[in-house]
Amino acid sequence: VAAAATACSTRPDTAATTGGQGATTELKFVGVADQKAPMDSLLAAYQQAKPSVRINASFAPTDQVQTSVRTQLGAGNAPDLHVVYPGSGSAMSMTQIGQAGLLADLSAQPWTQTIPAGFKPAFQLDGKTYIYSAGSSVIGAVYNKKAFEKAGVEAPPATWTEFLAVCDKLKKAGVTPIALGAQTPWVTQLITYALVPSTVYAKDPTFDDKQLAGQATFAGSGWRQAMEMYLELQKRGFFNDKPNGTTFEQQISMVATGKAAMAIQVSAVLPDFRKAASSPDDLSMFPVPGADDAASVWIPAGVVVGLGASAKGKNVEEAKAFIDFLGKQENINAWAKAIAAIPLTQDASSAIDPAVESFLPFTKDRAVPFMDQRWPNAEVQPVHFAVVQELLAGKATIDEALKKMDEAYQK
Amino acid sequence: VTPITTEKPRPASTRRPGRRRRFSVTTPSWLFAAPALLVYALVVLYPAISGVFYAFTDWSGIGEDMSFVGLANFRTLLGDEQAMGSIGNTLLLTLAIVAVQNGIGLLLALGVHAKLKSRALLRVIFFAPVVVSPVMVAFLWKYIYNPDPSAGLNGLLGLDVNWLGDPSVALWSVAGMVVWQYAGYSMVIFLAGLEGVPKELHEAAMIDGAGTVQRFRYVTWPLLAPALTINMMLSTIGGLKLFDQIFATTNGGPGYATETLSTVLYKQAFVFGKFGYSTAIALVLALFVAAVSLVQVYYLRNREVTA
Repeated sequence: VAAAATACSTRPDTAATTGGQGATTELKFVGVADQKAPMDSLLAAYQQAKPSVRINASFAPTDQVQTSVRTQLGAGNAPDLHVVYPGSGSAMSMTQIGQAGLLADLSAQPWTQTIPAGFKPAFQLDGKTYIYSAGSSVIGAVYNKKAFEKAGVEAPPATWTEFLAVCDKLKKAGVTPIALGAQTPWVTQLITYALVPSTVYAKDPTFDDKQLAGQATFAGSGWRQAMEMYLELQKRGFFNDKPNGTTFEQQISMVATGKAAMAIQVSAVLPDFRKAASSPDDLSMFPVPGADDAASVWIPAGVVVGLGASAKGKNVEEAKAFIDFLGKQENINAWAKAIAAIPLTQDASSAIDPAVESFLPFTKDRAVPFMDQRWPNAEVQPVHFAVVQELLAGKATIDEALKKMDEAYQK
Repeated sequence: VTPITTEKPRPASTRRPGRRRRFSVTTPSWLFAAPALLVYALVVLYPAISGVFYAFTDWSGIGEDMSFVGLANFRTLLGDEQAMGSIGNTLLLTLAIVAVQNGIGLLLALGVHAKLKSRALLRVIFFAPVVVSPVMVAFLWKYIYNPDPSAGLNGLLGLDVNWLGDPSVALWSVAGMVVWQYAGYSMVIFLAGLEGVPKELHEAAMIDGAGTVQRFRYVTWPLLAPALTINMMLSTIGGLKLFDQIFATTNGGPGYATETLSTVLYKQAFVFGKFGYSTAIALVLALFVAAVSLVQVYYLRNREVTA
């Protein structure tokens, strides 16, 4: 195997320090665009630590990477390392690819022993770990501090009523309270995801298990309340004009420039907002309070997109060795820092982005994984996107929307 | 355009049979086409035909787990609300594109066929969008279709339309974008047809006292029939399998308002991981496109005349 691999690598070894072991193993990694920042620095570090392995990395947006990697997996020529989504709710998720026997088992690596219990369903299938992820990100309100100051809002709201009052104040000050880029499909889900932990899981933390067992539905749960709250924000005029015609990029620029005061977003895209703002310190985040009793406000905290090693590749052991390297605490810290995530495991040197500090009190026992990570198939999520767009356009009722989601769930 | 067209009708009895005796006209043309046909067969026909097999399975696209399910995928399709709805969208979109693109294409062709000084330049300008990748055009039009009343097309026309975000408008916005890109393509084909209309027919009609409209109606239009046939067929096929522009602008949304058969089959395969079902939809789409094209060509050919 080693001979074949070296024969394939035609590029001269530029790392002159390797001395006698001139042979280079070349690994291929295909990742999603969000992974570029952390991977670039960690790949450089790995090149230093292990000069005999060269990793060729390429990155693409979510849709494209899902299409191309899945096609490569189907054709049997998957890259040695590739993006994997935690849980079970997408076509490139750990469960779906792991079940097909295409992911290498990582359970023997030391870092897998310290995965927090609440995150295990995202990492493990039948007790075996198939995906590496550096930590979790949260969904909350990314807000422009200057816009809040201008409208005279002193502190972020802690209850739903306070949240509505803040929006009202912002609106009166001539600022769009919430920027919503619902033309970009995945953005549509974030407001429901921000509210459902409080309206569903705070009341019943075992909702996912019940739903999987067929004892609970979207229509008969707090999902209805969350949708009503979503539409209430629209009815009160708290969103920008024409959210269905507005994209994610426009949403970013509205908040970064202070034209809008906040956007309900996932913390992993915080770096994008900071890049667009005149000063990165203008932006911070707070949890969206989905309940009127501050103690029953829960937050969504999901494992961030990760990577796995192809079980069918030529260099499985080398690929696994790289993941083992990523599992070291210092590398978990580095990855998490690059995407403003909360590190999977923490030590004294772990830095938490100040913007997500207000979420930390929740992460222990008032946080739930992103809803789709436990959904049984890849169809529920796109249906959720579509029905939210229909609701925003006034083309569907909440009853119809939840019915469609329940039908997709049962497929 | 060629002044010697009058010499064309030659006494058929002397030359044509003689030519045929020396060598067959068809054999060498097949030989010349053979390398291209071979590549086409290997790269297009073989994978397409071998793919048909998967339409009768439940293959997920990854792994070896697969079982034969007979016609189950086709039965699912009949009961699939979303796929059936997308057929309606596909047909509406195709109708709009075929009618408007060819209408504008014909007007453009007549315009740049006239003896204008800048006609060569205008031809290039009208044809230019065709050579741009459809995805690039779609990204460009996302800016043009900015919903802000002061930006893009809204700003230009003084409108306040939610072009891609309003479910009742989005489909037509997509059609408009496609027409903008491909009207120049129809124009070029019509132009070729116009160049082939013999001058002396126009002269004869003028002597008979026919005006501009009558000359178009009774001389140009019948002789444009072959160009119309090919334009109708190409735009119909293009409309029925439209994918890139929708994927890059609305991705089927808002809701399901711009979902077409192509986007549905893409999602079934790559988002939901149902390759078997997706292949079944693709097979139905391919047969449908073939059937529509054949019927179209049959009817349009019948009304073709030659000069």
